[in-house]
Amino acid sequence: MSSNGGMMLTGNAAAAWGARVSDVDYIAAYPITPQTEIVELLSKWVSSGELKARFVEYESEHSMLAGAGGAALAGARAFTATSSQGLAFAFENLYAVSGWRAPMVMVNVSRGLGMPMTLQVDNTDVLSVKDTGWLQLHAETCQEILDFIILAYRLGEDRRVLLPVIVNMDGFFLSFTREPVYVPSVEEVREFLPPYEPPHGIAFSERELAYAPTIILGHSYTYFRYQMHLAALKAKEVFYEISRDFEKIFGRSYSPVEKFMLDDAEYAIVSMNSFTSIIKGAVKRLREEGLSVGVLKINMFRPFPVEEIAEALRGKKGVAVFELNLSTGGGGIIYPELLKALYHLDERPKVVLDFVGGLGGKELTYGEIRYMVRRVIDAYRGGEVSPHATLLFTEEDTRRMIADMELAGKSWGGF
Amino acid sequence: MYRFRFHGRGGQGIKTASRIFSTAAFLEGFYAQDFPMYGPERRGAPVAAYVRVSHEPIVIRGYINKPDVVVVGDETLLYDPVADPLRGFGGGVLFVNTPLNPNLSVDGEVVTLDLTGLALEHIGRSGAISAGVGAVACKIAGFSESSMVDAVVRELEEIGLPDELIEKNVVVAKESYRGVPSFDLDSLPSLSESDFLETDIVHVRLDEGEVGIATIANLGNSAVRKTGNWRILKPIVDYSKCTGCKICFAYCPDVSIHMGEDGKAHIDYDHCKGCLICSSVCPFKAITMVREVKVM
Repeated sequence: MSSNGGMMLTGNAAAAWGARVSDVDYIAAYPITPQTEIVELLSKWVSSGELKARFVEYESEHSMLAGAGGAALAGARAFTATSSQGLAFAFENLYAVSGWRAPMVMVNVSRGLGMPMTLQVDNTDVLSVKDTGWLQLHAETCQEILDFIILAYRLGEDRRVLLPVIVNMDGFFLSFTREPVYVPSVEEVREFLPPYEPPHGIAFSERELAYAPTIILGHSYTYFRYQMHLAALKAKEVFYEISRDFEKIFGRSYSPVEKFMLDDAEYAIVSMNSFTSIIKGAVKRLREEGLSVGVLKINMFRPFPVEEIAEALRGKKGVAVFELNLSTGGGGIIYPELLKALYHLDERPKVVLDFVGGLGGKELTYGEIRYMVRRVIDAYRGGEVSPHATLLFTEEDTRRMIADMELAGKSWGGF
Repeated sequence: MYRFRFHGRGGQGIKTASRIFSTAAFLEGFYAQDFPMYGPERRGAPVAAYVRVSHEPIVIRGYINKPDVVVVGDETLLYDPVADPLRGFGGGVLFVNTPLNPNLSVDGEVVTLDLTGLALEHIGRSGAISAGVGAVACKIAGFSESSMVDAVVRELEEIGLPDELIEKNVVVAKESYRGVPSFDLDSLPSLSESDFLETDIVHVRLDEGEVGIATIANLGNSAVRKTGNWRILKPIVDYSKCTGCKICFAYCPDVSIHMGEDGKAHIDYDHCKGCLICSSVCPFKAITMVREVKVM
């Protein structure tokens, strides 16, 4: 489209293109903002014949997921997409599909769960399904959404893995944001992504199979659940293998974590998803101000890349974890996972502080990013440390919150 | 990097306008990124869209706080506290779609054009200003007319407009493009300003009881928000023709028509958004419309 190459695509359009070039056979759909554009585009392409696939609109996300998982078992490469309330409604069947070991890809467009209602991003939706047996890849850019979908099919369909994968993008900040995206051809992708032929698929198995063991006792239940755990752990090693192939064909490489200005930094901000771009921009400026800070971005949340995180943060003086999520009564959801990765390190960072911000699409300002870094430096030098998450909330946020309160006829006492 | 911020109302095609501009930038060889922001999708509600244009890959996203160029598609938004289009503006270029020649006291260049008039003249719809708004932004940035037209066609095809309507939009776009000046963006004082917001963190404590729970205490407060300034066309009741049949009263989606003691329909202009359903359902053709020109 231009001298820069690629096309101007929203995150949603990049997701639809990801499914299209992955040559999906079956699309199970149910609309929800801010995801709907994905299935709208796919339905347009199926109806025009540009994409040879079966498009089925279901009566709920719960059925949608059962249908997609069933299609995956029957021998179809299956795709679906949802968000927040829809993901919650599908929750039970997340376990069914992963337990069937049915590889498929679901895009989650991250949005907060009501109440109070929002259309904007809060990663608590996707992180609340971290224990369901689905692998999770989290995108920072529209290009990553497309690339991660292609990688996710290859990863999930690998015979050592055979698990479904969620590719996450943030609502609005990626779903409705257009930026240049390079879209490979179906032929190029075919070179990377072989035909879908799972050994346990009904279409490919050498004998008849049933998929509904009714009630099994603890020993067998434990064995099969633990097999899923091992397969999920194995997925990290497989990811490295397929990333090498991906780079050979497409020229872009990915690993479970990404380091940005990190190697020579004394301090690190850990982040995930689209707000990492905002943090990267701020970190470049903080470097100019003389603060020795870099960014560690988590691309893969399941399996959790414990070794990569330990390696990247070894020897750092302090770490700030930016969390666009909130486990009420717990704090940030990444924080305990990160501490697990660091606990056994000899040269572990002296301080690791947790920060929650950006909830409901709230702006993450430069001042907030610098505050995180300053707090960590201060803590390293003997200042306040706490295992509790610190909320990033500004005077401007307060002013606007008070205005909303007044509109709602309530008086607020002040801090 | 050039930072453009677009403001308008839901239904005016402000998101499309921002995409036209962004696509034109891309066609001109820039890296571009566009990002619309809106709440529940309501016609007439304030919408903003943010576009970044750069010679380098863009490593930042989200809101634009200190825009170099502000493009206001609806003049009634200029002093709207929710839209707040002038927030963070200074030393750049402000465009306002207006038939008036307003004397705005802002720090920067002010450009105006009656895009709504052009849309009414060539397309017949007051809200069809996306091509005009996009074209104006392209001209301000100094993009070529051919890239602009190419972008208008691509974006309007994308949203499924028929060819005939796209052609009319191209006419509006060209007139709009030629009706405003170009600027050397690199010389704008705003460009030297960083978009980074310096903010202080405040400590949020527990508010016990009902305060910290998302309740609404003054029920029916939607009347506080006067939505009448969303209106571009104003319905006028001709009382010599109105029979008091109540059909408009029943159809008004905003409960902005009440039956008066005279038994006839009266319009609450504080809240009427100018959808003109009343005019279209009136069996006696008693409701006509006039273009509303607001005083800023």
